[in-house]
Amino acid sequence: MPIWTRASDTRLGGGLRPPSDTSPQESIARALPALESRPGTRAWYVDVWVQLLRKKPLGTLGGAIVLVMLAAAVLADWITPYGFSQTSLRERFIAVSPAHWLGTDQLGRDLLTRLVFGARISLYVGFGAVALGSVLATATGVLSAYFGGRLDLLLQRGVDAWMAFPPLLLLMTILSLLGPSVFNITTVLGVAFGIQNSRVIRGVALSIKEHTFVESARALGAGHVRTALGHILPNVLPTIIVVATTGLSTVILTEASLSFLGLGVPPPYPTWGGMLSLAGLDHMYQAPWLAIWPAVALSLAVFGFNMLGDALRDLLDPRLKGG
Amino acid sequence: MTRYVLRRVALAIPTLFLVSIIVFAMMRLMPGDVVTRMVEGHAYAPTLAALRHDLGLDRPVHVQYLDWIGGIVLRGDFGNSYWTRQPILEEFVRRFPVTLELAGLTILISVVMGIAIGIVSAVRQDTASDYVGRVLAILALSVPYFGLAVLVVVLPSIYFKWTPVWTYVAFTADPLANLKIMIVPALVFGVTRAGPIMRIMRGALLDVLRQEYIRTAWSKGLSERTIVLRHALKNALIPVVSLVGLQTPLYLGGSVIIEAIFRLPGVGLFFFEALTKLDYPVVQSVNLIIAAMVVGLNLLIDLSYAYLDPRIRY
Repeated sequence: MPIWTRASDTRLGGGLRPPSDTSPQESIARALPALESRPGTRAWYVDVWVQLLRKKPLGTLGGAIVLVMLAAAVLADWITPYGFSQTSLRERFIAVSPAHWLGTDQLGRDLLTRLVFGARISLYVGFGAVALGSVLATATGVLSAYFGGRLDLLLQRGVDAWMAFPPLLLLMTILSLLGPSVFNITTVLGVAFGIQNSRVIRGVALSIKEHTFVESARALGAGHVRTALGHILPNVLPTIIVVATTGLSTVILTEASLSFLGLGVPPPYPTWGGMLSLAGLDHMYQAPWLAIWPAVALSLAVFGFNMLGDALRDLLDPRLKGG
Repeated sequence: MTRYVLRRVALAIPTLFLVSIIVFAMMRLMPGDVVTRMVEGHAYAPTLAALRHDLGLDRPVHVQYLDWIGGIVLRGDFGNSYWTRQPILEEFVRRFPVTLELAGLTILISVVMGIAIGIVSAVRQDTASDYVGRVLAILALSVPYFGLAVLVVVLPSIYFKWTPVWTYVAFTADPLANLKIMIVPALVFGVTRAGPIMRIMRGALLDVLRQEYIRTAWSKGLSERTIVLRHALKNALIPVVSLVGLQTPLYLGGSVIIEAIFRLPGVGLFFFEALTKLDYPVVQSVNLIIAAMVVGLNLLIDLSYAYLDPRIRY
């Protein structure tokens, strides 16, 4: 059984208690905290992580990789001995050495340092775009589902048109016109992510809208805003989390492919996609590690986010499995 | 069936209309000026105003849009490139076979690999071969295709003195030489796309194999081969077909990168070069043509469900 129905069931149960002298809303409000603090039950958002550690070894591994990446990105300034654009012409093309664990590039820049700073861009763009996109997807998805009718029709035709484009071509078009910058790429990827996933959110919101507890909320006199935000939104939340975590790897990969094409974050700031890009191809023949390590870093990151996302999806929303 | 197709085609028209407005608006609203670049960098015309007039950019925006879309609808004329003044459709048609071949080979490789490994994994669930298959699928999912492509270009040339063939030969000129060129990029792209197909195939087949009619087939005494390949596979293919359909835009988009790495003169490279030169008409028209193809393809995929599952009727 999906985890969130518990919350909605208790809410409904609270509303159907024997009449008392207080208003129904007040009795629900009083019943809720009592039920949630019942010993032995965990809130679903805590429970998910416990289940992840217990039942999903691959998901835990993915989570660990993500944590390492996060730590590297946050601590980049302190853990790296070199600057990401600090050149040293005497130390060009070193393969491996005690001073440079993963070697250096054509300008003598330390590869490990650049990879660690690259993680920062990947995560910054990844989390930024997914956060923006999730808000956008939720807003349009819930609105479209809740109000239906003409608004729904209009919004969905817009989504249709957007989805007719091959995503990469559209993103390339927009970014080449806007010019490369961290802000631009995050915003554009976020909007694209939001539009694409508003469909999923809309679908879930549509089915939740039909539940009786929404009807009871309306019958109790809750307005549109209260029903949409207070009753439908909390139940869409697990789906949003699933969409966001599984989407992170896609967004990171898309950012890397755009940087690969020179449309991402401009140099000298290092990005994994940019480090792999064709611009450096001539140097890679001389120093293959310049191609290998960024590819490995990117693969590890995608692997980590994929496994974590898959595990969270299985735990939070089994219906989306394989979707 | 005919009615369904007609209705879908009718529905596609407003979608494509919206697509055309989106691409057109994007090219006009956003910063970046092709005229300045053409005049100052390449001396295409004596003054900015003269070139603007030449290209018709001094007309009101809605006139420009109507001119573009009118040409497409009425005369099948997709406009000319700003830089070369060549008709876009001609160039597109000349280059499209390359992209089509690349996409076709890629899809073929990923589908064959994905389905084959998926079947083995499902039929031998929880055995060593299942685990190997699933690990391969996860690996394929994780390695970015452009990273793999760069490694395939760089590493063998260092260690084995082997390089991909760089000069393109058309299939019609020399099929064998052409396949030799195309097989490497298609393999790189196909292998990385086989992962999701394998996972979907495995999941769908496992579902189907647990159904009653499969038990009936077993009790009739049919061989495992017949049951899996004749009875179960076709039903399990539906989610696979929809996945491949959903991914086709990704194949087309990814072909930009693959064509750039392996220097294949396809539509992707055409688009990418036009983009870096701010060649608006090319970017607009190629976007529109490919969007139309995606819409048409989605229709074909929906129709293929009726073949795979005769219960589905349109």
